[in-house]
Amino acid sequence: MTAIPESQILRISRKRLDPLENAYVPAIIKGFGTTFRHLFTSFGQSKIPVIGASKTSMTMQYPEERKEHKRPEQGGMQVSNFRAVHRLNKDDAGRVKCVACMMCPTICPANCIHIEAAESPWDDREKYPAKFEIDELRCIYCGMCEEACPVDAIELTPQYDIVGRTRQEMIFDKNKLLEIYDATIDRKPM
Amino acid sequence: MLDKLLPIPAQVFVGAIVVVAVVHILLGCVTLLIYMERKVSAYAQDRIGPNRTGFDFGLPFLKALFRNFGFWGLGQSLADGLKLILKEDYRPRGADKYLFTLAPMAAVIPALIVWAVIPWGGYVNVGDITIGNTLVVQGGRALVAAADLNVGFIYLLAVASLGVYGVTLGGWASNNKFSFLGGLRCSASMISYEVPMGLCLLSIVLVSGSVSPQTLIEQQVANGWHVLAMPLAALLFFTCSLAESNRAPFDNAECEQELVGGFHTEFSSMRFALFMLGEYVHVAAGSAFIVLLFFGGYHLPFVALTEPSAVGPLAAFVKFNVFFVKAALVVLLIMMVRWTIPRLRYDQVMKLCWNALIPLSIALVVATSIMLFIGWDMWWALTAMNVALGGAAMFIFHAMPHPPVNRRIPLAGSRFSPLPGEVVRTGAVGVARTESGVAMGASGTVSLH
Repeated sequence: MTAIPESQILRISRKRLDPLENAYVPAIIKGFGTTFRHLFTSFGQSKIPVIGASKTSMTMQYPEERKEHKRPEQGGMQVSNFRAVHRLNKDDAGRVKCVACMMCPTICPANCIHIEAAESPWDDREKYPAKFEIDELRCIYCGMCEEACPVDAIELTPQYDIVGRTRQEMIFDKNKLLEIYDATIDRKPM
Repeated sequence: MLDKLLPIPAQVFVGAIVVVAVVHILLGCVTLLIYMERKVSAYAQDRIGPNRTGFDFGLPFLKALFRNFGFWGLGQSLADGLKLILKEDYRPRGADKYLFTLAPMAAVIPALIVWAVIPWGGYVNVGDITIGNTLVVQGGRALVAAADLNVGFIYLLAVASLGVYGVTLGGWASNNKFSFLGGLRCSASMISYEVPMGLCLLSIVLVSGSVSPQTLIEQQVANGWHVLAMPLAALLFFTCSLAESNRAPFDNAECEQELVGGFHTEFSSMRFALFMLGEYVHVAAGSAFIVLLFFGGYHLPFVALTEPSAVGPLAAFVKFNVFFVKAALVVLLIMMVRWTIPRLRYDQVMKLCWNALIPLSIALVVATSIMLFIGWDMWWALTAMNVALGGAAMFIFHAMPHPPVNRRIPLAGSRFSPLPGEVVRTGAVGVARTESGVAMGASGTVSLH
C-alpha cells in the first residue's frame, strides 16, 4: 500500500475561457431560456391528472393518484409482487390456513412474528395459531415468511399505506390479519 | 389648535393616502411573494408546489362550504404565518437581549422606508376639500408618493445601506459563530456592492441631470427608457440590487449550504418572520427602483393615461397599477435568477464586485461624463457607448492575468502536502489490517521526501 505514484497522476489544465464565456452573460441568458421554458411548460399541472396523461412534472398527487396507478418505470409499483402489510390467508371453509408450524418466526430476520400454537379444533391438522401477532413497525418487509410458509398461509399484500396512532396499534393480531385478507383478496388473489 | 393645523397641504393629504395604501398592499404582497417564490421555484424545477392549502383551516364546516377546494394553495402563506405566530419565541442563552430584539426590526424598517420616494402615479391635481365651512385640504398639485423629495436617489442610497444593520446585528446578537460569520459576510458584501450600485446611479443621474425620481421618469418619457440608453448600467444595477437584498446567487448571509442558516439561524417565531418580511420587502423595493430607474416608472408607451401630463385621479390609479405590474415582473426575474445561476462562493462574490463590477461602473461613469461633455446625449449614442464599453470590458477582463482559481490550497502537514521530512501514511489502512491481521507496519509506510 503506497501513495499514488507520480507517474499515475494525470495533471489536468483547465481550458482557458474565451472572452464571451468569460463575460458569463451569454451563458446566463441561455440559462434563463432553460429555466423559463420549464416555468412555462409547468403551468396547469396541479389538477389531478388523467391517468397515463403525459406531463413534465413527475409529482404524484397522493392520495388521488397512487403508486399502483403508474408503471414501475414511471415511478409506480409492480402490484403483483409488491411487499407491504401481511395477511393471513383463509381456506375454502373460511378457516385460517396457518398450521402454527413456527417456520415464519424462525426465519424472520426482524423477529417480529409471535405465534402461540394451540391444538387444532379441526380434524385435518394438529395445530392452529391461538395467537398470531406481527409487529408491523419491526417488520422489514423482506418476504421471507411468505417463502418459508409450507401452506401459503402468510402473504404480503400491496396495501402499503397503513397507519396507526400508537405503537400498540401497529402490532397486528390474528383478527386484523384475517381482515386484511378480506380487504385485499380481490386485489391479490391467492 | 386644529385651526392652526388646517388646511392640510395637498401633498400631505395625498402622501398619507399613499403611505396607508402602500404599506397595506406591500405587507399583503409579501405573503403573496412567498407563495409566488414557492410556486416559481416549483415550476422552474418541474414540480407542482403548494396546491392544497386553502382557507378551511381544517374546520369541517369550512371544508364543506368550500367543497374541499384548495384555492391553488393560496392559503399556504397564511398557514405559514399562523405557524410562526404560534411558535415558541426562543432566545438562546448568552444572546444579547436588546440587540436580539432590535435586529429583526432593524432589518424591516429600512426596507419599508425606502418606499417613501417611489413616485407611484406622478403628479395629481387635488381640489379643495371642505367639511362644513372649514377648508380641510388646500387644493393643488401633489406627487403620488409618500414625500415629494427632490433628493430621492440620495435618500435611496442612504437608506439602502441601513439594511445591513439588521443582518449584522442579528448575526452578532445570536451568540452563534455561524450566525456571526453570516452577518459579517453580509456586511462585507453589502458594503462592497454599495459602490457599483452608487456609481450606476451616478451615471443615470448624469444622463437625466436630476436626483429627483419624478424628474427622472419625465425625462425617460421624453427621451426613451433608460434600459435602452444605458443597458450596461441596468445590468450592473440589477446585479448589485440582487446582492443588496441578499438574494441568490449572492445569498452569502444565509447560505444554508455552509452556515446552517446564516444570520437568522437562532431566530424563531415572529422574529424570523420579520427577517423574512424584510428580505421580501427589500426584493420588492429593489425591483421598484429598477423599474423607476430603467423601465420608465409608471410610463407605458402609447397609453395617454400614463403620460406625466395626465393628472387626474384615474390616471394616478392606472399609473400606480402599471408601476406595480412592472415591479412584479422584475421580482419574477429575480426569483428566476435563483434557479438559473449557481450561487457564488464567498471569495467569488467579492472578486466579482471588486475585480469586475467596480472597475466597470467607474468606466461607465467616466464614459457617460465624456459623452455628455461632448454633447452626444442622444439615447442611441449612449446605447452604442454602453455596448462598446461592455464589449471592451469583455476583452480587457479576458486579457488580464487570471489567477489560478479553484486550486486546492495546500494545508501544510496534511497528507497531501506533508512537511519536509514528514513520514506520511497513505493507502487503505483497513485492507492491510484484514490481510495481515495486524495494524499496518513499516511495509505500508512511505516517505515522500
